[in-house]
Amino acid sequence: MTKGKIFLGAALAVGVVLIAGGVVSSRASAQTPAVSAAIADGSVGEQSDGYLGVNGSVSADVRSGVEAINIKRRAAYTDLAAKRGVTVSDMAAATGCQTLAGRVKQGQAYRIASGPWQTKGAGAIALPDYCATAN
Amino acid sequence: MTLSTFFALRRAPLIFGGVAACMLGGCIQVKAPDKPIEINLNVKVQQEVVVRLQQDAKDLIQNNPELFPQ
Repeated sequence: MTKGKIFLGAALAVGVVLIAGGVVSSRASAQTPAVSAAIADGSVGEQSDGYLGVNGSVSADVRSGVEAINIKRRAAYTDLAAKRGVTVSDMAAATGCQTLAGRVKQGQAYRIASGPWQTKGAGAIALPDYCATAN
Repeated sequence: MTLSTFFALRRAPLIFGGVAACMLGGCIQVKAPDKPIEINLNVKVQQEVVVRLQQDAKDLIQNNPELFPQ
């Protein structure tokens, strides 16, 4: 009886998560091109904390796209952090080292800690000390 | 005189000789440090954690391109 109830509850919870996930992912896939365009023009950029940030004002579509990506990133960081026995923010920061070192292209925006938004020049981005082994 | 005191007395000049040599500076003085000896292993462990996480981060980015648009 109780077991049956628990099972029903679990099944419902899984269903809700699946539906919610489906909604989020279908919306995110529609927004990703908008986010890519925003990254290209520098209104969205990578941050050293491992998340995307908004630099200035962007459309609602871009903003929600960035949020959707960050939610998924956080889930992925949480997963890996649990596997490695580190904090979520450490895992996120380690990823931030990689995005700043290799993903941000010349002319695109990036931000280190709570510093100002900067535009990547011809040289490599000066990474925080803890990224020493980012290559 | 028991046998053990006999031997103790026979060794006495040897012991005194040793003490005298130390006083003349012929001995290496080993002094216990006042503070406990600390060996810091944290640096290496920290470094290994960072290296490992960097590899995880690389894999994460490669395997989830939709989370890392360019």
